[in-house]
Amino acid sequence: MNTRQVMEIALMAGEILLKSGAEVYRVEETIIRIAESYSVSCECFAMPTGIFVSSNGAEVVSYVKRIKERSMDLHKIELINSFSRSLANNPLPYDEAKRTLKRIENSPYFNFRIRLLSAGMTAFVYTLLFKGNLWDGIAAFFISVCIYVFKEKTSGITAFQFLQLIISGMFAGIVSIGANSFFPFLNVESILIGGVMILVPGFAITNGIKDALYGDIVSSLSRIGEAVFIATAVGIGVAITLLFGTRWV
Amino acid sequence: MKELILAFLGSFFPAVLFNIERKNLIWAGLSGAIGWGIYVLLYKITGGVVMAIFVGAVCVGIYGEAMARILKTPASVFTVPGIFPLVPGITAYNTVLAIVEDRIRDAYDKGIETIASAGAIAFGIILSTAVFKFFKQGKMAKTMDGEE
Repeated sequence: MNTRQVMEIALMAGEILLKSGAEVYRVEETIIRIAESYSVSCECFAMPTGIFVSSNGAEVVSYVKRIKERSMDLHKIELINSFSRSLANNPLPYDEAKRTLKRIENSPYFNFRIRLLSAGMTAFVYTLLFKGNLWDGIAAFFISVCIYVFKEKTSGITAFQFLQLIISGMFAGIVSIGANSFFPFLNVESILIGGVMILVPGFAITNGIKDALYGDIVSSLSRIGEAVFIATAVGIGVAITLLFGTRWV
Repeated sequence: MKELILAFLGSFFPAVLFNIERKNLIWAGLSGAIGWGIYVLLYKITGGVVMAIFVGAVCVGIYGEAMARILKTPASVFTVPGIFPLVPGITAYNTVLAIVEDRIRDAYDKGIETIASAGAIAFGIILSTAVFKFFKQGKMAKTMDGEE
């Protein structure tokens, strides 16, 4: 297997990791480990939005890969992890390694209905955990399910993420104010907490600080920046409806 | 008790969204219950949010590393859902809401709480990972010495 093919395999593994929400240090380590198991030495620099790799042996091959979409998929991270470890003992030929990676990339996911149910149940559970009552929970369940469907249907559109978050926030606000005006025993704040639970950037902030502790300052700042923008978008969406809702309803 | 069950479910369902293997889902949920239970307990005793979150995160980290050794999967499978009830997503959202509604005092409080608790969780998880790595390397060094 020549250097170019090794770099292709390593880069593809790194790309899957980054798209599945792995930490930056893990992406860099995995790429270097895969290249080393074919005895190619390389340098790698990864950020949440892209990867640069370059082999620095006799033959220099460089690749740049732009990552546009990131989501959380721990199963894929696990599969790539064991794949890269098995390569060290048993370096697969190019075609086979590529096939394995393709299979990992399309590895099964829980089907849509189960994910929808768990998105709703997440909202329900967190409404109760933050002192809401049962009926608040059911309203939050409804909001969360609708937001999840909306997110899934519009996931392919570029430059839409922040508008999507604002619309989701507005939707959550409208439903909870509406529910409260029809059934006054419902609490708007508890419903909103559950309803926006799957949108808010708790993980983005935590992972940002984690990256900084591992020494990846660039990706740390970009993750924290992303978190600030997500929180702003959701907050603005909710605040708009609350502002008008309390005046007019 | 009710809160523990809720925290269990509050890690179990996000774990489905994070696409964890079916057989590990229960253990991921348990990790959330442990983290939240310890957080609530310490919060009631000391009244400090950040320290309680830090200890909760350390316990989730230790649990995750231990389960990773037992079940032979990466620790993040347990720690990521485990800290889900603790991460300051809602606090971040409340900060922005306070800014937009012109409650600047609240925004300061919530904003600092967001950063502090995120930092506490990150430090907690990394601390337990580092301790486990340290002991593992210590053990390996010892066996290598023995072989020589």
